[in-house]
Amino acid sequence: MLKVTQGGIQAVVEDWPGRLGYLGAGMAPAGAMDNAALGLGNLLVGNPSEEAGIEIAAGMFVAKFDEDAVIAITGADLSPTINGEKAPMWESIAVKAGDKLKFGTYGEKGFRAYITVAGGIDVPVYLGSKSTCLFGSYGGFEGRPLKPGDVLKNGKPSKPLSELVGRKVKPEAIPQYESVIKLRLIPGMNACPDYVTEEGMDYMYSNEHKVSINSNRSACRLDPIPDDVNFFARKDGGSGGAHPSNIIDHAYNMRGAINVTGNTPSLLIGDGPTLGGFMCCGNVINADLWKIGQAAPDRDCIKFEYCTVEEAIQARADQKKWLSMDSIITA
Amino acid sequence: MSEQRRDYSTILRTLPANEAREEVLFRQAGDGFLQVEYGHEQRLYVPDSFRMLAVDGMVKDKKINGLIETVPGLRTNMFHFDPTVITVDRLIDEIAECEDELKTLESMVIPSRLIKLPIAFEDTETKKAVEKYLQLIRPDAPNCEDGYNLDYIAQCNGITPQEAKEKLMETEWFNSGCGFWPGGGFFWPLDPRCALVVPKYNPPRTWTPEGAVGLGGPCVFTYTTPTGGGYQLMGRTIPTFQFAMKHPQFAETPFLYRNADRIKFYEVSEAEVLDIYSHVHDKTDYKYEIEEGEIVVKDFIDWLHSDQIQKETAEFNKKREAGMAAAPKL
Repeated sequence: MLKVTQGGIQAVVEDWPGRLGYLGAGMAPAGAMDNAALGLGNLLVGNPSEEAGIEIAAGMFVAKFDEDAVIAITGADLSPTINGEKAPMWESIAVKAGDKLKFGTYGEKGFRAYITVAGGIDVPVYLGSKSTCLFGSYGGFEGRPLKPGDVLKNGKPSKPLSELVGRKVKPEAIPQYESVIKLRLIPGMNACPDYVTEEGMDYMYSNEHKVSINSNRSACRLDPIPDDVNFFARKDGGSGGAHPSNIIDHAYNMRGAINVTGNTPSLLIGDGPTLGGFMCCGNVINADLWKIGQAAPDRDCIKFEYCTVEEAIQARADQKKWLSMDSIITA
Repeated sequence: MSEQRRDYSTILRTLPANEAREEVLFRQAGDGFLQVEYGHEQRLYVPDSFRMLAVDGMVKDKKINGLIETVPGLRTNMFHFDPTVITVDRLIDEIAECEDELKTLESMVIPSRLIKLPIAFEDTETKKAVEKYLQLIRPDAPNCEDGYNLDYIAQCNGITPQEAKEKLMETEWFNSGCGFWPGGGFFWPLDPRCALVVPKYNPPRTWTPEGAVGLGGPCVFTYTTPTGGGYQLMGRTIPTFQFAMKHPQFAETPFLYRNADRIKFYEVSEAEVLDIYSHVHDKTDYKYEIEEGEIVVKDFIDWLHSDQIQKETAEFNKKREAGMAAAPKL
């Protein structure tokens, strides 16, 4: 139904919550980097919010439709056009066979856009998910980013297409992307008192951390910890290694872990490693993971906000309500 | 609001040490993660993993609603759960109950399969990986002198390359838990007299062939798919992962290894290994050599702490320390 004519910077098929239950087999969950944009996009076209869509990082993606369909474009504004005309975002739109969908590039806010299609993307479900894991080259569309010539089929729409057109996300439910991205963070498992000093944790929570150019779907790398911050509570990693960030290999609290390798903190996300020999000093709450998907490398900063487990559970409930038909105006 | 009352401490609860265990620490690790850790010391002691896996099995048998999965490491276990179904306090109660039930070493028996794996030392494919590394990444790498890593492994352990091969084959290697790479296991030597240790590549390789057998730190890893990597290469074994799941061994999951498996290597020719590849991936009729078995923890610990083993281990450790001190750093 949709034929790719240009893959762009990186376009991958992703669903939500991804491939859960295989961390212990060394398989990252993968999944949409911004599950909020994907979820709202799916609801617009009559799919369950977890259905797979096309995740477009940074833009330059071009595709042509082979048949009539209802789609939605959500997430960052990557200047999408249909047949050269500006395409509306955050609403379900009808496309005709032969229509050409084209994305420009990202601007000052946001980084990833999503295309959802009525009926979903029909790729094989591998170990419970349609998500692509680029790190392991499996899942999604042949385990890789989309490239020219790829043909993506869609599943069966939940309703006649005419009934799915004209849905909109309520204005108050459309997320505003920021250049200083606030993420709620729970300390652990390697924080105070034995791994990181109070001063070190204060540093994490009190500063803005620039997102490195070396960020991808596995890790969002942040600025190194300055030498004048007394960060580590240990002198070395014992049998785990010489550096105090070393530890005997343990599972990572991923997605969302802040993994400290040497002096560099990184957020482990979608395709990240499941286990390794470095400490993790915090975990971004599940309900805020989506914001990391809109962080542009070398442009945006992360600011952490302290959060308790109770607040994080409330945030999950709030997100569930947000990513529901309560946020959609049906025509 | 909570910005005003930041609390960075992460130990939610502890269970006291007793004769069968170290102190148990329950660590907060996010809104859907809990880490259980044995003791405060970063130690390499395989029986920690036995206990971790025994408790892991008991907790899983409870089929706790809301527990998504567990990910054991050598001395830690990560519990991934849905906090909207089960609270972290309730989950800790469930785990603590299992910890307290496992009172003595006598009662600990770990089901553990033994998988025999053929290995071709210094085969053509892993040699290619070293060659590529020298060409593209680090031409002066001291661990790749003469085009392979075995000399360096031997040097770091104060023994000959032949002795290094024998040590790899003499011990059984214990999987404390799968992870890092799809289908990969972290294997530790059960016989401390064979505990080879070696630094990892610096910087890492960009390519390693499927089936490569590598040593990094104290662990053995068999590469499940072609990938980058940092372990020093010894040779090549047969497939331990099959993405397509068409061989009967992989009918249910693409992974060969399970937690608590043991592997044991035996030497074959490169031609034999290559032949098995075609019988796994193409003809799908290779029969994996897998025996059901168990580890009786008390017997193992008694053996481990026996005078002879302690003495011979100390002798090897001495050689290894001297070797490591003399070997070039990476």
